Amino acid sequence: MLKKNKNQLGEIYITFFKLGCIGFGGGYSMIPLIEREVVEEKKWVEKEKIVDIFAVAESLPGATALNTSAFVGYSVAGIPGAILALLGNMTPSIIIVLTLSVLFVKFSTYTSVKAAFKGIYPVIIGLISYASYKIGKTAIKDKTGVIIMIITLCCSLFLNMEPIPLIIFGAIFGIAITTIRSRNLYKSHKPPLGKDSVNR
Amino acid sequence: MIYFKLFLMFFKLCAFAFGGGYVMIPSLIKASEANHWATAAELTDVIAIAGMSPGPVAVNAAVGYGYKVAGFPGAAASFLGIALPCAIIVILVATFFFKVYSHPKVQGALYGLRPVITGIIIYAAISIALKNNIIIAAQDKLIFKGVYLSIFDYNILEVKSIIISIISFVILLTTKISPVFLILGAGILGVLIF
Repeated sequence: MLKKNKNQLGEIYITFFKLGCIGFGGGYSMIPLIEREVVEEKKWVEKEKIVDIFAVAESLPGATALNTSAFVGYSVAGIPGAILALLGNMTPSIIIVLTLSVLFVKFSTYTSVKAAFKGIYPVIIGLISYASYKIGKTAIKDKTGVIIMIITLCCSLFLNMEPIPLIIFGAIFGIAITTIRSRNLYKSHKPPLGKDSVNR
Repeated sequence: MIYFKLFLMFFKLCAFAFGGGYVMIPSLIKASEANHWATAAELTDVIAIAGMSPGPVAVNAAVGYGYKVAGFPGAAASFLGIALPCAIIVILVATFFFKVYSHPKVQGALYGLRPVITGIIIYAAISIALKNNIIIAAQDKLIFKGVYLSIFDYNILEVKSIIISIISFVILLTTKISPVFLILGAGILGVLIF
């Protein structure tokens, strides 16, 4: 954990405020935005750890975007970091939604607004695809990983399975397979399956 | 007292919303009907504004709904109701998580979990494309001014949208251009071509 100071807390608030302003389309579209800001620009969290943070934040109840923000905030600067990340992420929402509600603007009925959103949603799809590419590169280290990913995708596409049971299955499978591998290692004194590819 | 009731309602909704903000919406509709706080039409407005505003959908819906029902204090009460469970749960879990992070069993679980998350995110992209009628759109839900690539009666994909998706993916991959500019640019482009 990095040094906590007022400047950094302010930076956390501003970073998540910015993310809140552009996070159209819910929690998943925030992933690449958070990645770029927090991992690449600010270097607050390592590449591997951010994937694990996304994984855990997703399996908790509540808004995915909020959980992820709070989790990243916590990992940077503890409890004050979590609270400021949450507040920063929520401030733009509050301002924008209240303004729209007060003005009673029925924006969605204007054809030009509808057209703008038709342009924005394909970008959101591009953004989320980019997120899965970036995360996949860090998350999937061997053939087993590729297989787990394909099974997950099929289960959600064709069986309409919710993320939570899939996440739980993934965790149980991961514990099982690493346990089996380490036992094989103990018995044969050879490197376990996939060890080389993990270190690749 | 209505403010406390609003706070309590969103607190409960948030604490049990496994799977993100969109999961909350059906429960919000039910709770709203039970309390006779807002008409179906008002609720539709709230959800429309929540969906089109940037930021977490759950927060947007809570703030908009609280304001509709009880003005600014209502919005504040709903906001607290949504924020507190997230803050409490995440802080508790995060404290615990970073303590056990390097334990072999936890690393084992994460080894299986990471590819699952990758799959779920790919699915999120596909489901947004489906929801916005960009791929496999029903005949009566085609995008106005869209160009569809169809095989027999199936509208496989909308060409303009897919091109925007691919271009933005490539830009993100190869340049350091901020997604903000992509979103703004796409909004303008949308007005011009749709």
